[in-house]
Amino acid sequence: MTEPLNTGSGAPRASNRPPTERAGLTSPGTTTGLAAPATTVIAFSGAQLEEVQRLQSLYPDPRGALLPVLHLAQETFGWISLPVEEYVAGLFALSPAHVHEVVTFYTLYFQQPTGRHIVAVCHNLSCHLAGSRDILAHVKRRLGIEVGQTTDDGRITLQSVECLCACEAAPMAQVDDRYELNLTPARVDRILEGLR
Amino acid sequence: MAETVLMRNFDRANSHTLDVYRAAGGYGAWDKAGTMEPAAITEEVKKSNLRGLGGAGFPTGMKWSFIPKGHTGPVYLVVNADEGEPGTFKDRYLLERDPHALIEGMLITARAIRSALGFVYVRGEYVQPWRVFSAAVKEAYAAGLLGNGFDIVVHRGAGAYICGEETGLLSSLEGKKGWPKIKPPFPAIKGAFGQPTIVNNVETLACVPPIISRGAEWFAGLGTKTQGGTRMYSVSGRVKRPAVYEASVSITLRHLIERAGGVSGTGRLKAVVPGGGSAAILTADEIDVTMDVDGLKVAGSMIGSAGVIVMDESVSIPEALLVLARFYAHESCGQCTPCRESTGWIYKMVHRVVDGHGHKDDLDTILDVAKRGGGTTICAFYDGAIGPYISYIEKFRPEFEALIGT
Amino acid sequence: MPKLTIDGKEIEVEAGTNLIEAARRLGVEVPHYCYHAGLSIAGQCRLCMVDIEKTPRPTIACNTQAADGMVVHTDTERVRQTRQSMMEFHLINHPLDCPVCDQARECWLQIYYMKDDLYDPRMTDEEGHRHKAVPLGPHVMLDAERCILCSRCVRFCDEITGGGELGIFHRGDHSEIGLFPGRDLVDNYSANVVDICPVGALTDRDFRFQVRVWYLDTAKSICTGCARGCNIEVHVNRRRPHHAEGRRVARLKPRFNADVNAWWICDVGRYHFGFVDGPSRLTAPARRGPGGPVEIGWDDAVAAVAEAVRRHPPEEVAVLASPRMANEDLVALRRLLEVQGIRQVAFDVPPAAPAEGDDFLLRADRTPNRRGAELIGLGGDAAGILAAARGGRLRCLWVFHHDLLAAGWPSSEAAEALGRVETVIFTGTNANATSDRAHWVLPAAAWVEREGTFTNFEGRVQRFRTAAEPLGGALTEWDLLGRVLGAIGHPTAATRAEHWFRDLARTVGAFADMSYQSVGDTGQMIAGATSAGAPVPPGRRARIPA
Repeated sequence: MTEPLNTGSGAPRASNRPPTERAGLTSPGTTTGLAAPATTVIAFSGAQLEEVQRLQSLYPDPRGALLPVLHLAQETFGWISLPVEEYVAGLFALSPAHVHEVVTFYTLYFQQPTGRHIVAVCHNLSCHLAGSRDILAHVKRRLGIEVGQTTDDGRITLQSVECLCACEAAPMAQVDDRYELNLTPARVDRILEGLR
Repeated sequence: MAETVLMRNFDRANSHTLDVYRAAGGYGAWDKAGTMEPAAITEEVKKSNLRGLGGAGFPTGMKWSFIPKGHTGPVYLVVNADEGEPGTFKDRYLLERDPHALIEGMLITARAIRSALGFVYVRGEYVQPWRVFSAAVKEAYAAGLLGNGFDIVVHRGAGAYICGEETGLLSSLEGKKGWPKIKPPFPAIKGAFGQPTIVNNVETLACVPPIISRGAEWFAGLGTKTQGGTRMYSVSGRVKRPAVYEASVSITLRHLIERAGGVSGTGRLKAVVPGGGSAAILTADEIDVTMDVDGLKVAGSMIGSAGVIVMDESVSIPEALLVLARFYAHESCGQCTPCRESTGWIYKMVHRVVDGHGHKDDLDTILDVAKRGGGTTICAFYDGAIGPYISYIEKFRPEFEALIGT
Repeated sequence: MPKLTIDGKEIEVEAGTNLIEAARRLGVEVPHYCYHAGLSIAGQCRLCMVDIEKTPRPTIACNTQAADGMVVHTDTERVRQTRQSMMEFHLINHPLDCPVCDQARECWLQIYYMKDDLYDPRMTDEEGHRHKAVPLGPHVMLDAERCILCSRCVRFCDEITGGGELGIFHRGDHSEIGLFPGRDLVDNYSANVVDICPVGALTDRDFRFQVRVWYLDTAKSICTGCARGCNIEVHVNRRRPHHAEGRRVARLKPRFNADVNAWWICDVGRYHFGFVDGPSRLTAPARRGPGGPVEIGWDDAVAAVAEAVRRHPPEEVAVLASPRMANEDLVALRRLLEVQGIRQVAFDVPPAAPAEGDDFLLRADRTPNRRGAELIGLGGDAAGILAAARGGRLRCLWVFHHDLLAAGWPSSEAAEALGRVETVIFTGTNANATSDRAHWVLPAAAWVEREGTFTNFEGRVQRFRTAAEPLGGALTEWDLLGRVLGAIGHPTAATRAEHWFRDLARTVGAFADMSYQSVGDTGQMIAGATSAGAPVPPGRRARIPA
């Protein structure tokens, strides 16, 4: 039995990154207060399977639907666990290794359970010039967590991410599906309060 | 001051709806294009001097003409809405405020290149723009504009800057990691799913309806001798009014900054990134350059995606470089050795320098590594990365040296 | 056919030939990692850069097809500089594991660095760390830190076996080779990834830490795992007997043959050599004594066997030949049968459990020379011979290699049969239940300890060469049969395997006009037979074009 490669605390600690926040990668450190439903059976509903087939039929090679179906899987199961990857692999007649490649490559697929809300603060150049470091520090203080972690009550997972292309409204963050622009500490507080 | 072409509909209420778009004259160009031969459409776009507005600045009409003549199989039109270049946000506006302009541009282009199927690849983080655009596509289907010889599949990305590289985008569209493809073959010969494919930026295609309805000469006349039209400049950083501004491509950087209200912060300009994060930085005395493809090339930089980031004198250039070095290390897809290894290495070195642990050889090592890797990679990502690596250090070297040995 | 110039030399090549292959034809080796002629083009390592006139920047050779009039330079200053840069990038995160890495001396990072670069490293930051010593199935060990991410192994699993087990996860310099977490690399071709890995990231678990490669000698050979006869190299350690517990055969590696196995061998064949240096090896002639086998000299053994064969009428003598024997052994055996008039011969002893072939190289027939045995006329009724033995109608039975008690018939019947034969002679490489019951045991040299030929299932005659000395006093079958022939008054002039092969070419129509020269290193088809070529890899069947 091979050692799982995508481990959290089991992986070698000496990182090839300098000791700064890991920029929004999909392997958060410790996660507590997991919000995702404990799904024991990984399966799409009949309607969802029809949707999968519809998506697959849109592309000259059905594999083109893999990213959309992974989004659907994440919405359905909360995050993309290894069983989810295997399940999706089966829907595409792909080897699980190749689905794992895709899931680990893209930052929006979460490989561990997350909070009910994702707060992703941009730290790229224009936001940096507009004070994103202070905003991030403020968020961390308010929530009591580090980047990559989830609050104990399972509400919020914090990420620090690359350019979200809303530089005209820097500093900003993506909160779930929407962009929150022109952040100030006060605005941040209001936003965080609204996340239940 | 040039007229507003691309942003003409932005301030209308419900500008994203079919009714409002039509009421403003929308889809008239598509009607006209329907009476033109495909080759004539391509000719018109060639004559307009429209150049790609996503980053590479390649002449659009010429790109379309690379589709092999006599090819009888499918041809795909792929729209690059994976906007990700730091400092760039124009496509977001187009998707949200004028999605039908893109649809109309796609229809006309599809006719020119004989494509029956188009894909719009929207970056995964752009959830709102994706929803607005998808709704517009639905309207277009309901109105019979789509589904009558041309279909559009809207495809969400999942978070990777490299999917903005045209063949990285194609790999991602095919359901794989966003690894750019080795060239040759080029996408026009063998692209998405192995078929001839044209990949164009959102804004580039939004230019197509005005070119058809008002003519190539008009469009060409709006710009410079080698690049026609206007474009949307994303201006941010230390300016008083960060926003997207439309202007003729002949505008100078100085004038653009003025339009954005001038320098904020200390009010004194230190440097400007003229074309998105991957463009070589310009110093305060280099801003009389015209913001077109050739103007910036001559100035040793590039217009790229026209993301303008203004820095005033309080900005630390080494810190700015660190932000970008982290970006490139994070976004390198890892496929080819020079980029994979040196983006990480250079990030480590810049980090050490900024932290005060730099060695005296570090700056020269960074420059050497950057230059040696340039031109050796599968795609231009690394060539973009070395823009900042080299220009920030070469143009602001004393600021870096001051950090070494402190 | 495009004509191009490489380093000043002109060459004409088939259309579609890439520059690495074109240069190879001229004896110019363009350094590369990710390129492999049996796999798709990846263009990832960027090491194979060459200068092409009229092209502004160096270009990768693997993805450039030869064009008419192209002028290529593989050794300009700029190319050397570029190569050195690429090597530096490959090495900055590579661990300095050489002292403990099996790949040492056949590692392409070492080889190219020593050949071209020898620069002072300037990477002073901490390298990236990844998983080390991760077993990938029973045969392969992964060290992900050493991996240079050339993706050869990933492409192998996709394009050759079709299993798709390996992937490159994450991105940037976090990229890491691996299996889907929790899965194993269990397929019959797993160890081929060890061959194609340019560095010590994928190493052979069987070979791990056994012996340093610079102590190995190699010989061209043929795999004896099944009837396909994949071409191999045998690597033997002759100079360091204190390594690997004295085992001489260290490993088998595939040898390219476009018409048989291309670049690959299966794991069954790859590891089919343990018996050669195993503890059950027979090393001296022996007779059965009251307390067990008693070693005797060859002269005595030959005399005894000759006597046993000669003493009885030929109807009371039978021989169970083996499809493991080389053509040369089989033709020598046939001579003995002819001069003695022995008609009861067969080779088809059924295996205990019928084996299965797979959809690529492995054949269900796990013997290397059934075709040869058929052609040389040694086919017969093995079950009939067993019945004759049980029925007391045989006085002398000579068994080559088979263990009749571990075959596809009840072992009690086989034991009974052997018990009722007055003289049982056994010839083979390793002891087994049959040799235990034999009155005379004549040890045979293993195939790696001699030369000879096998005829594969398609009728391809292929040579295998000597890699090591016969163990102890073991002799080739043709040699001991020749001595027996001499002892019964029909001496043979053959003193080498090749003499018997010439005899074969003279007397069996299928082998007419063949010689060791004509068979060469790639083999020769018997008269009237055509080869279907190396089979299409499973991963390439029903592929949707990328």
